[in-house]
Amino acid sequence: MRGFRFELQLASRFLLENRNQTILILLGIAVGVGVMVFLSALIDGLQADLIKKTVGNSPHIIITREVAEPLRNPAEPDGFFPIQIQRRGSRPVVEWIELTNTLKEEPQFTAVVPVLDGPALLRSGSASGSVALRGMKLEEADKIYQVSDKIIAGSPELAPGTLLVGSELAEQLDLQPGNTLTMEIPGKQPVSVLVGGIFDLGVQNLNKRWVIMERNRVAYLLGLQDRVTEIEIQVKDVFQAEELARTWANRLPGYQVESWQETNASLLTALRSQSNSSYTIQLFVLLAVTLGISSVLAINAVQKTREIGILKAIGIRTRSIERVFIIQGALLGTGGALAGTLLGLGLARLFILFGSEGYQLSLLLKPATLAIVMTLTILASVFAAFLPARRVARMNPIEVIRNG
Amino acid sequence: MAEIMLQGQGLIKEYGQPIPSRVLHGIDIDINTGEFLALVGRSGSGKSTLLNIIGALDRPTAGKVIIDGTDLYSLGEDELAYFRNQTLGFIFQFHFLLPQFTVFENVLIPYLIYHGRAGSPVVKQAEELLERVGLAHRRDNRANAISGGEQQRAAVARALINQPRLVLADEPTGNLDSKSGENVFALMREINRDLHTTFIMVTHDSLLANRTDRIVELRDGLVLCDQSPVIIE
Ligand SMILES: Nc1ncnc2c1ncn2[C@@H]1O[C@H](COP(=O)(O)OP(=O)(O)O)[C@@H](O)[C@H]1O
Ligand SMILES: [Mg+2]
Repeated sequence: MRGFRFELQLASRFLLENRNQTILILLGIAVGVGVMVFLSALIDGLQADLIKKTVGNSPHIIITREVAEPLRNPAEPDGFFPIQIQRRGSRPVVEWIELTNTLKEEPQFTAVVPVLDGPALLRSGSASGSVALRGMKLEEADKIYQVSDKIIAGSPELAPGTLLVGSELAEQLDLQPGNTLTMEIPGKQPVSVLVGGIFDLGVQNLNKRWVIMERNRVAYLLGLQDRVTEIEIQVKDVFQAEELARTWANRLPGYQVESWQETNASLLTALRSQSNSSYTIQLFVLLAVTLGISSVLAINAVQKTREIGILKAIGIRTRSIERVFIIQGALLGTGGALAGTLLGLGLARLFILFGSEGYQLSLLLKPATLAIVMTLTILASVFAAFLPARRVARMNPIEVIRNG
Repeated sequence: MAEIMLQGQGLIKEYGQPIPSRVLHGIDIDINTGEFLALVGRSGSGKSTLLNIIGALDRPTAGKVIIDGTDLYSLGEDELAYFRNQTLGFIFQFHFLLPQFTVFENVLIPYLIYHGRAGSPVVKQAEELLERVGLAHRRDNRANAISGGEQQRAAVARALINQPRLVLADEPTGNLDSKSGENVFALMREINRDLHTTFIMVTHDSLLANRTDRIVELRDGLVLCDQSPVIIE
């Protein structure tokens, strides 16, 4: 194996000798790799954006009490809960304090928020609207929904008898902070409540239906002392949610543990098929790169017939010559992959700098993607070198020696 | 005192399929250590073919080549390659240096093929060889940037770097003017004398052939005569 040093030297001399050819093929590989890197960054960025929008300010996992049959409010045939996650049951979680404490010990969970939901009707003068009454502690609600930051009028406080309403609902009922209105809960006496603030969570459905109130107050109004209906959780890595949900479902018999992936299956399918079409494009780019390297090395091999003949006559082994060409492929691939990565990064930067106004382009360069693109390119280059390497290495030195 | 280093036994070579034409018709030849042998004959008489067979480059259709007790063609391709590298030196008519390397690097290549890196003893030896062939001043020139005669002298140095037992030269002066040719021949003769290296040289030049130890003449693939030069002319 000591001869490897010489093989490496030979390969680099061969490449340096045909400098223009080498530069041209390097450029070709670089453009291909640049396209792959840029395309990956674009698709990954778009998808990360979409996922962030979908799950950024919503629970990743929801734990509810398992019920034999979904409890629906007969007054609301569609159910009450307008966010993406469907709630099947609303039977109260009895041992929630203990459960919440257990959940908070899971290092993957970044927010564990007990919530008490209930149906309600709001009346203001002649206008009325049915709402989802969400009983939460404000500082806990902030962990998932950042409600405090999204108050557009009034103040982010949940004093007793005060509630926060969504902007759409406020418009519909013509509400201002400081207004008083009547809240009706099925089977209870109507109560009078005060609008403390108006929030805009950025999702129309939530702005239209949500009413946030202090959890203990909701418990009191619903006649459910110290109960919650669900526990909402955010996790560190959103893609781990499904796995974590499964684990916790096993640990919590009698509970339903649902992840955002289960409720957003169609979104994920769409993303997956988008990724697949991007991979297909990249595969063809890689194929073009491979063919390019292969043909350049085939030409190179023919041009070097003389040298190879002499080297074989003076005792180099066939396998050594093969390696010389495979090394050339690897050198071209590595150089092209590095240059292409830089090109891709530069392209990404340009797009961010000069991207059209109003169309916010988000790019995400994952180190893993870079590593995969580079590894694939280098592997493809080595593979591309294989055929010309085999053919030229098997030549008979006699031909060269006889014919000059 | 004469010690046989090479034996060719019943060497037959045929070319061509499906109708083979026989180029060597059964050649027997023994060559002694330290001998400087000239292989002569008309063009097409089979000199190069014989030399390539002796040089472990071309398998004979029948017959054996034994060098220092090794039956060459019982070896596999890789072993043959290693044998050529270690035991034989080649000087071709078309000097064949590698243009991608300097003169000095070219001299070292047969060593580098199996060692990768040249330690100082080999570097020193390469420098001595360059000195000897009169190319010390061309050391770092590109191999294709020197004259034909110089290239052939560099090829002589390259053939000697692994201290071969046998050097094979196919018309080494064929492409050189007479002065350069004389130079290269004198150099080979000198090395033959000093290092006791065995030489087989194919040549068309009867004057040069006459200054060797032994002349073997081929005709139509057979040995026509095998004599010492004093007897001829
Ligand atoms: N590869 C080959 N295929 C067919 N015939 C060949 C081949 N190589 C050599 N010959 C023939 O073998 C004969 C001897 O060639 P060669 O050994 O080169 O002769 P010399 O070196 O004495 O001029 C010639 O007739 C030549 O045409
Ligand atoms: Mg010849």
